[in-house]
Formats: sequence, C-alpha cells, structure tokens
Amino acid sequence: MNEFYITELFFGISQVLLLVVLSPLIVGIMRKTKARSQKRVGSPIIQPYFDILKLVKKEEVVSDQSSWIFRCNPWVNFATTVSAAFFIPVSIVYSPFGVMGDILLVIGLFGLGKFFTILSGLDVSSSFGGLGSSREIMFSVLVEPALLITIFVIAIFYGGTNISMIVTSANEISFLASPGVIFALIAFFIILMVETGKLPFDNPSTHLELTMIHEATVLEYSGKSLALIEWSQSIKQIILLTLFVNIFIPWGISDNFSLTEISFGMLFIITKIISLGILITLIETRIAKWRLFRVPDLIAISIASSMMGVIFFFI
Amino acid sequence: MLENFHLVYAIVGFFSLGAILGLFSRGKSQHVYLTYIPSIIGSFLAVILSIVVFTSEDIHITLSSQQIFNFEIFIDGVAAFFILIIGLISFAVSIYSLSYSKKFDDKKNNSNLGMLVNLFIISMILVVASNNIFFFLIFWELMSLTSFFLVIYEHDNENNLKSGLTYLVMTHLGTAFIMASFLFMYAQSGSFSFDSFRDAGIIPDYVRDVAFILAFIGFGTKAGMVPLHIWLPQAHPSAPSNISALMSAVMLKIAIYGIVRYLFDFNSIDDSSNYLWWGLGIVVIGSVSALVGILYALVERDIKRILAFSSIENIGIILIGLGLSVVFASFNLTSLSILAFVASMFHTLNHAIFKGLLFMTAGSIHYSTHTKNIEDLGGLIKKMPWTGLMFLIGTIAIIGLPPLNGFISEWLILQSLLSVFQIPSTILQVSLTFASLALALTIGLAAATFVRLFGISFLSKSRTLKAANAIEVPRFMLTGKAILASACIVLGILPFIGINLIVTAFNLSYTPLSPFEPLSIITEDGKSFASLMMPAVLIILLSVFVSIFVFVKIIGGKTSTKKYNTWDCGFGGLSERTQYTATSLVEPLSRVFAVFYKPKNEIINSFYSDQNQYLKKSIEVSYTTRNIFEEFYDLVLSFNLYILNKIRKIQTGKINAYILYIMIALLSLLFAMGTGLIE
Repeated sequence: MNEFYITELFFGISQVLLLVVLSPLIVGIMRKTKARSQKRVGSPIIQPYFDILKLVKKEEVVSDQSSWIFRCNPWVNFATTVSAAFFIPVSIVYSPFGVMGDILLVIGLFGLGKFFTILSGLDVSSSFGGLGSSREIMFSVLVEPALLITIFVIAIFYGGTNISMIVTSANEISFLASPGVIFALIAFFIILMVETGKLPFDNPSTHLELTMIHEATVLEYSGKSLALIEWSQSIKQIILLTLFVNIFIPWGISDNFSLTEISFGMLFIITKIISLGILITLIETRIAKWRLFRVPDLIAISIASSMMGVIFFFI
Repeated sequence: MLENFHLVYAIVGFFSLGAILGLFSRGKSQHVYLTYIPSIIGSFLAVILSIVVFTSEDIHITLSSQQIFNFEIFIDGVAAFFILIIGLISFAVSIYSLSYSKKFDDKKNNSNLGMLVNLFIISMILVVASNNIFFFLIFWELMSLTSFFLVIYEHDNENNLKSGLTYLVMTHLGTAFIMASFLFMYAQSGSFSFDSFRDAGIIPDYVRDVAFILAFIGFGTKAGMVPLHIWLPQAHPSAPSNISALMSAVMLKIAIYGIVRYLFDFNSIDDSSNYLWWGLGIVVIGSVSALVGILYALVERDIKRILAFSSIENIGIILIGLGLSVVFASFNLTSLSILAFVASMFHTLNHAIFKGLLFMTAGSIHYSTHTKNIEDLGGLIKKMPWTGLMFLIGTIAIIGLPPLNGFISEWLILQSLLSVFQIPSTILQVSLTFASLALALTIGLAAATFVRLFGISFLSKSRTLKAANAIEVPRFMLTGKAILASACIVLGILPFIGINLIVTAFNLSYTPLSPFEPLSIITEDGKSFASLMMPAVLIILLSVFVSIFVFVKIIGGKTSTKKYNTWDCGFGGLSERTQYTATSLVEPLSRVFAVFYKPKNEIINSFYSDQNQYLKKSIEVSYTTRNIFEEFYDLVLSFNLYILNKIRKIQTGKINAYILYIMIALLSLLFAMGTGLIE
C-alpha cells in the first residue's frame, strides 16, 4: 500500500513535469496555426523552447526604479503556477496530490501570481506598466464572479470542489444530462479566453499600447525573468486547457492506475488539448480586438451564463 | 493560593494603573512608558486568561447580591474567544504605541492618549465579561465614550470634531436600540442577569423576534453594517492610528460578539421556521455591506478611509457566515451550520489580525510622511522596507490569497456558500447563490482595492517630497506589526490552530483537527466535498521554487544583471507625473460600476485668446466620484434641519406664549380625563 502510494506520488510529479515541458509546445502549435490561417509561414512549432533557452542565457536588465517585488515576481509566478498543476488530474481521473488542495486553491494560487504581476507593472513606474496593471485589475475583478459561479455550478453538479472528484464524476455522468453544465461550459470558455490573454480581450502578440494588457505589465522584463514569465504563462494556459478538457470532455481518461490505460489517457489528453488549442486559435483569427469598455459585456455574458447554470441545476 | 479569577482582577488592576498613571504623568517625558507598559502587561494577561478558560473551566464571579447592581462576571468560551482577540491586538498595538505616541509629545495633553487607551481596552474586556444588562450597558457606554474622546483626540482639526460628533450620535443610536432590546427581554424574564435570557421557556417567540431585530440594529450600528455604517469611514481616519487599529480590529468585533451572544446563547437556533428569517436577513445585510463597503473603498484616496470601508466589507463577510449558520441550523443541517459558524468566527479572528496590522502600517506611513493621501505617496518600499514587507503580508492576507490566513477563512465561507445546495428549498438555493455572486465580486474588488493601495503607496517613484524623504519607523512600531504579521502567516499555514481554538471556545460538536490532517468539508450524507492541506501546499510551493531556481542556474549558467532606466519611450527622463495615479488606476472600473460612483469627468481648457482655440494656456482635468450613501445621509440631515427650523417658531421667548402653551396642555389633559381617554 505504502509502496503503491509512493509510485503514485512519483507518477503525479512526472505528470506535472510533463505539463511543464509540453506547455511551450502548445504555444508553438497555437502560433503556427495562427500564422497558417493568416497565410503566413510562421516560426517552427518548437520556437518557444528556443526562446526560453535563449532568454535564460542572456544578460538581464533590471529597471533602477524597481524594488524586490519586481525581481521576485517571475519566481513567484512560476512557483504558484507549477504548484497549481499538482492538483490537476491529467491522464487519470484523480491527482495523487488531489486531497491537499481544491479548485479554489488553484484559483488562489493563480491569483497570487497575478497579484505580483500587477504590482510589478506598477513597480517600474512607467506609464506602460500602470496601463497594463489598470486593465488587468479591471479584468480580474470582473472575471472573479464569473469564475466562482462557474465553479459553483461544477462543484454542486459533480459533488465537490476537489478537482479529482469533479473529474471522476464527470467521467461517469455525461454532462449532457444537465443543461446547467452546458451553461458552465460557455462561461468557462469565456473565462479561459480572458485568463490566457486571447482575442477579443487581449492581444499578447502586439506591443501596442491600445491592445496590450498582460504584455504591458511585464514589458520591463528581460533575460531569465522574461523566460520564467513566458514559461509560467504557457503553463497556466496548459493547466486551464487541461482543466477544461477534463471537466467537460473527459472521454478517454483513465479511471484506474494501470500502465496501458494511463498511456491511452495520456494520448487522449494531449490530442484533446492540442485540438482545443487549435480551435481557440481559429476562433481568435476570426474576431478582432474589442474596445476595452465593450469587453465587460462579454464577461457579463459569462456571469449570466453561469447563473443560468445554477438556476437550471436547482430547478 | 492563586486561582483563575485572580487573573481578571490583575487585568483590571493593570489597566486601571495605566489609566491612573496617565492621569498623573501629564506633560512628563516618560508618560509613554508609564501608560503603555501596564497595558502591554494587561493585554498579555488577557491572552493568558482566555487560554486558561479554554483549557480549564469558565470563570464566574459575583460581587454583590443585590437585584439590579448584581455585578456578575462570567467568562465562558465565547467571551474568552473575544477576550483573546482583544488581548492579542491590544498587546501588539500597545507595543506599537510605545513609539507611535511620541508623535504627540508636543501636545499639552500627551498622556491623555495613553490613559484613554487603557480605559478603552479594559472597557471592551469588561463588556465581553459582563453577565448582566446593567453592567453590560455601563461598560458599553464607557467603551463608546472613551472611543469618542479618542476619535477627537486631535481636536484642533475641525474635521475630526465633525466626524467625532457623527460617531457619537450614531453610536448612541445603536446603544438605544440595544437597551430597548434588553428591556424587552427583561420585561418577560424579570431579571437583569443574562442567565434568565438563556432559559428558553420564559420568553415567548414574538418577543425574541422583536428583541433580536432591535439588537441586530443596535449591534449592527456599532459593527458598521450598511446602511448604518456612515460613522465608520469618518471616525476611523480621524482617530490616531493606534486607536483606529483598536477600533477597527477589536471594537467592531465586540458588536459581532453581541450578535453571536444573541443568536447562539440567548436563543437556541433549531428548525422552527422562525429563525430562518433571521438568518436570511443577516445574509442579505451582510452581502450588501460587503459589496457596498468595498465598492467605496476602491475609489478612496485616504489610506485610512480605504481601510475603514474595507472593515465594512469584512464585517459583511462575517455576517454572511453568521447568517448562513442560522439558515443551516433552521433546516437542522447541523454540520453545515457549524462549518459556516467556524468560517465566520475564523474570519472575525483573521480580520482583527490583518486589519490591526494594516492600520498600524497606515499609521507608520502617516508617521514618517505626514500624509494619508495615497496620491502623495509612492516608492515607500525602498525607504521603509520592513513596513513595506509587513504591509504586503497584510495585503495578501486581506485579499484572501494563499498561503495566508485570509485565504483559509474565505475558503471556508465560500465552502459554506457552496453547501447551500443541501438546503431542501429551491427558492433559497437560488437566492443564496446571489449572495455568492456578491461575495465573489467583493473578493475581486477587495483584491483591486488593496493592489491599488499597496502599488500606489509603496511602489514606483515617490510622487511628492514627503514620500521621498520618508524614513523607516522606530523599532517598537515594527515589533508591534511583526507580531500580527507572524500571526497571519501562522494561522494561514497551520489553520488547525484557529479551527481548534474556535471549536473549543464555542464548544462545537466537531472533532478537533490534528496537525497533519487535511481540512475537509463533508456533506450531510457523509460524502467528502472538499479538502485542503496548507502545510503540504507550502511544501509544494517551496520545492517548486527551489527546483526551478536550480534548473535555471544550471541551464542558464551565470549571467550578469544590469541596472538601467525604465523604458521612457525615448523622451528622456522618467517623471513621477507620467506614472499612473491612484485615480487613473481604477478609472476603468469606476466606469464599469458607474451606477454606484456617478463619475464625472471635467476638462476645462483655457486659451491665450478667445479667437484662437489652438493655443491652450492650461488644461484642467478633474475626475470625481460620488458616494451615494453619504449624500443620502446629508439629505436626511437637511430634512431634519428643515423640520426643526419650522418647529423652532413656537419657541418665541415671550413668557405669555409659554403660559398659553401650559394652558392648552392643561385643558387638553382635562378634556382627555373628562372623556375617559386616559384614567
């Protein structure tokens, strides 16, 4: 029993490592898809790895206005994001670390990272940083209710806020059985687009003061710090994608601890994440960036949708 | 042989000593030590007292056997829990005051502050310990009056007098309601002792309903619930910062103590539908308070006003927990009721700790920069590194982010809100979801408020010379803050301490947690719903941090770091005027929530000549937001003044007019007697 538990823990850690290692690949695939759909050739899909390797070796320039908050932000961001990955089931319906934290903790950890990012945007005392922080604050305030009510729907439908439990029951009950979860899916999809900085909310590929949000807060970073920031952003993206896939379309996920089932589960999850990534990119290329003050409308749709989900569950 | 109750005498003795020494050390240089050292010892003994009560038995002292003036002290677990809060915060604040009070050394009445602080703390302890209407009200009044004098301590500023007056009026309004409520109960039970209220049989249900509503309004005024919160954002900023820390962190909790006593001690909540409405009322008031409090905190510029509004928000969160507990209990969902109650009490404890910390930090900022306006601050983290670190800890805790204590209590509150699906009533399930919506928005807005508060005042370039010349505050001020900051960390990482404390204090039927057990939520039918294990989370966080650090060092090798200017768009020279201000940072949000703020954007251009509209002499931009609640109170006030002005006309000052009034009064009385209206 004890030995089994240790094997499980090792498996959990290797799953996290897999997410960490694969995350730049997803970014590469999404960039490639975007380039292709815009009739460009685009950079190779493993370009994000080269970027990280290059940045890690480069000299770092730190703003002389900044304090230790600015310098510790990349580390805090990376540590919180990767720690959040420990609680997410990937190829098997439960995570070995699942009992230690639930989905609210995952949100809290992301929140801690975001907190430091916003502060470091203000720390460099440029107007770009302030601009990014201001917009990031606005979005996070508005997304918070949408996120929590969506979790509310999922938690009451699948009987718990522990992600392992959610995924286990999601695997057993088809979500088509309840319209409530479909509303949660719509809400969660919008949140996913906001949190990963996708159009029409944010356009991380430009450095234009009209469009940038997340980029503006991290504009002053270079070298190692930038590598960590970019990497943790892509890990956050893969975590959210995994969460989305495993909660709403868990088909093919392994429900017991056996080698063959897990390998199949792994295969399924990677395929699903990549397809979801491509789908999101295709949606992104079809819409333009929205005006900043129109974006709250879309988030309001997300809140309304999740509230509908709750009402559908209760009635 | 010393017994437990001697501790009570010792505490009263030390605080009285402090107060008396304060009276006699007026103008002396050692007045700070003479007044605060007794209060440090007294507060420490209060903490010991509460631990003694937790571990052994309740303390019951009766001093006289007369009917009305029966001075009874009864410290059970409930009282001990609140005495612990008072003791802990007062201990830290008194240490902090050793240095902070030097700020007022030039004043003639410098030692009065220390004297009043001693009286204030002991009156709070005695309110909690009283077991008799009469003495409860006396100490309640003593607490209100000493705090009023403390609010107007800097009375040379006219604004302080005005806010002190608002406080005095509102707090007495509250006291009147509490007194009315007690008298209602007394009329039925026939005894001034609280023991008689505890007997379920004596007092009929409708009296309990009325008494509870009155008490809720009364205590709610003191706690600062919306719409009776009006005094709070005025009184807290006016008081010296150590006093605001005590008022916000401790005095508001005494009001919560009153509500808890009423709900769970004087009444035993069970599944009679009577109590459901109490619970729902509390949840609604709590949600509104939380949302309104934080909405106005977001756009404030005065640090202490921001913190005061945030206190309203946190009281709202505590009330949501209490209300849910009553709602669950009225459906006989005992374990959920306990969950919501523990959440609420944990948040009470946490709010006391981090709000005390934040007010002390605000005081430190004021101490070294002489301003409370965050638009004048900036860059303080380099000038005051330790204060900055502690403010950061307080900020993370109050936002409710892991791994600090605020996260645990907000997690518990969210879990109890999630558990509403177990209530067997569809309408309630749906409507309580709106409470979670309000709470979710509150949590988001609180994060925005405190990110803004920390970011604008501690980071970026100093906006004025006041901030640029700031220096770190003296050692005692740092020690006081460090005590509470470490409490935030300990309660966050080891939440079992707080939970076990509450479980023993309130004698809940819940098995205490062991340190290595996850904090878990179990549904009524015994299924596990959620679990959390903070020490493990911390270990994961640290190990990820260490491994990525090693990884980057190995892959990247040694790289150099260069300090250079921030990118200034090539214009040369970064100015403090180009960076974001506190107002512009939340301008997008104030536009989204325009209903509450009614923002007004004014641009006034003045030209060199009226013919040429291209050459501008100056551009004046102002962005103002309004507080609709304060405007409502202004409306009420001006209406009252209008009526009173009309009534004034009968006071002519002529003696014959008054004789006429007496004649009319007499005649109408005789008429009433004659027709048998009165006997």
